[in-house]
Amino acid sequence: MAELVIRHLTKQFGRVRAVDDLSFEVAPGEVTGFLGPNGAGKTTTLRILLGLVRPTSGEVLIAGQRYDQLAQPRRVVGAVLESSGAHPGRTARAHLHVLATASTVPLSRVDEVLDQVGLTRDAERRVGGFSLGMRQRLGLAGALLGDPEVLLLDEPANGLDPEGVAWLRRLLRGLAARGRTVLISSHLLSEVAKTVDQIVIISDGRLRFAGHLDELGEPSVSVRSVEIERLRTVLNAGGFDVRPAGEGALDVRGSSAEEIGRLASIEGIALLSLAEGRPSLEDAFLRLTGSPELLPRSAAN
Amino acid sequence: MLALIGNELYKLRTIRTPWLLLISQLGLLVLGIAGLAIHGAAPNDPLLPREMLAHAGILSFFALILGVNAVAAEYRHKTITDTYLAVPRRSRVIVAKLVAYSGVGLLFGIASAGVALGATIAWSAIKDIPLHLASDDVWRTVVGAIVWNGLYAAVGVSIGALLPNLAAAIGVALAWILIVEGLLGQVLGDFRRWLPMASGQALGNLPGDLLPQLTGGLVLAGYAVILAIIAAATSIRRDVN
Repeated sequence: MAELVIRHLTKQFGRVRAVDDLSFEVAPGEVTGFLGPNGAGKTTTLRILLGLVRPTSGEVLIAGQRYDQLAQPRRVVGAVLESSGAHPGRTARAHLHVLATASTVPLSRVDEVLDQVGLTRDAERRVGGFSLGMRQRLGLAGALLGDPEVLLLDEPANGLDPEGVAWLRRLLRGLAARGRTVLISSHLLSEVAKTVDQIVIISDGRLRFAGHLDELGEPSVSVRSVEIERLRTVLNAGGFDVRPAGEGALDVRGSSAEEIGRLASIEGIALLSLAEGRPSLEDAFLRLTGSPELLPRSAAN
Repeated sequence: MLALIGNELYKLRTIRTPWLLLISQLGLLVLGIAGLAIHGAAPNDPLLPREMLAHAGILSFFALILGVNAVAAEYRHKTITDTYLAVPRRSRVIVAKLVAYSGVGLLFGIASAGVALGATIAWSAIKDIPLHLASDDVWRTVVGAIVWNGLYAAVGVSIGALLPNLAAAIGVALAWILIVEGLLGQVLGDFRRWLPMASGQALGNLPGDLLPQLTGGLVLAGYAVILAIIAAATSIRRDVN
């Protein structure tokens, strides 16, 4: 059963429709990536899930209930939003103490989560002196306080160094392996590809894709040759879907590397490289969101 | 609800803001009383001790600022997200803040009244002027000052909840006290006595053309309640971005 259900969700801010009839579900036991260009409606969707923003229409359910119907919400859902923060004058421990007492979580959890995110040594320091990475860890500690079934994280890797990012990935994968539901939004696509199982992509507030990472695009064969034009004619004649992929290279769908290699051999065309692959998350993302201007390198192809 | 009020008090204990505000309030209080002692009316003017003590109420402005911080500072430091995530029924958060901050406002008032009494007693001892501590006027001023602090803290909570931008909220509170109520009072004529500042001054037993003390206190309490209801209602509807 899906832990998170978003059904026909629409949010209108004045004349801007930030979320537009959006529906998707998030299952437990997996890490789901929530992707979209800036302004796609990701943060608004997360805020509606958490009861911070009122939807114009539609409904969002967490474990079958609206957020404000949950008896002890922070024990069901842990969240780190980009807009969550800590008072700079409070120590890390005091900050978590505030969250724990407000959420009726035992205070013994404070030390446990401090240890879990690696902030034990900095527990008595004022948050005002924390680096971005330490704040991000503190935010995660707050989200983990209630040992929740569902984690919603908005750009959780922001400010983390590579070691921190790897640590975060292990943490999230570990939580998912124990049956928790994890939804993360991020713009670091290569990082997301390493961390998530499922992907939800939205753009202009509408759903573009929801499914397993492997379903993002059909496999294709990329082939390079010195006689690219002749190869293209041969492959076209073979009825394959052939697309140019830069100078001296083709992208072929509906075929296997073996088949193309054999065809080229029969025709006596020398190949420089031949490889099967899936489109990268980045390519799929750009195709689905139609925003190549975000990444000029890909737009050139 | 008790746990939520306790949570608000714990939040106040773990930051320096209340202490800075209290120290400012007490420092200015001593300064104000010293000013009256040096340049005020003739030392034997029977009104003088009352004017001195009344400073404990006038400086309730700092209790008001403390109250403004309750919600507006949570927006400023982005802690409001976690606060509302823990307690999605926002009216409960606002009520807990109103109770907690009114209590701390009363403590501000008690501290101020204590310091004002001490300073006034010291002045009377130095100048060798008999002070009638048991007089009605003295105690009405002291009690009025304490309640004024408590009510202003509550009013501040509502202002901060209505205007979650901390600078804007403090600016509006200052502008009202320094300019707006004065100008409005000129238009309203005799009705000006019913405005929030004037009713606070009546509660604080300040000399002047004001409502009776009890009426002033009730009017100010009425403002506090009305503002609190509006603040709770708008906080429930507001999107937190």
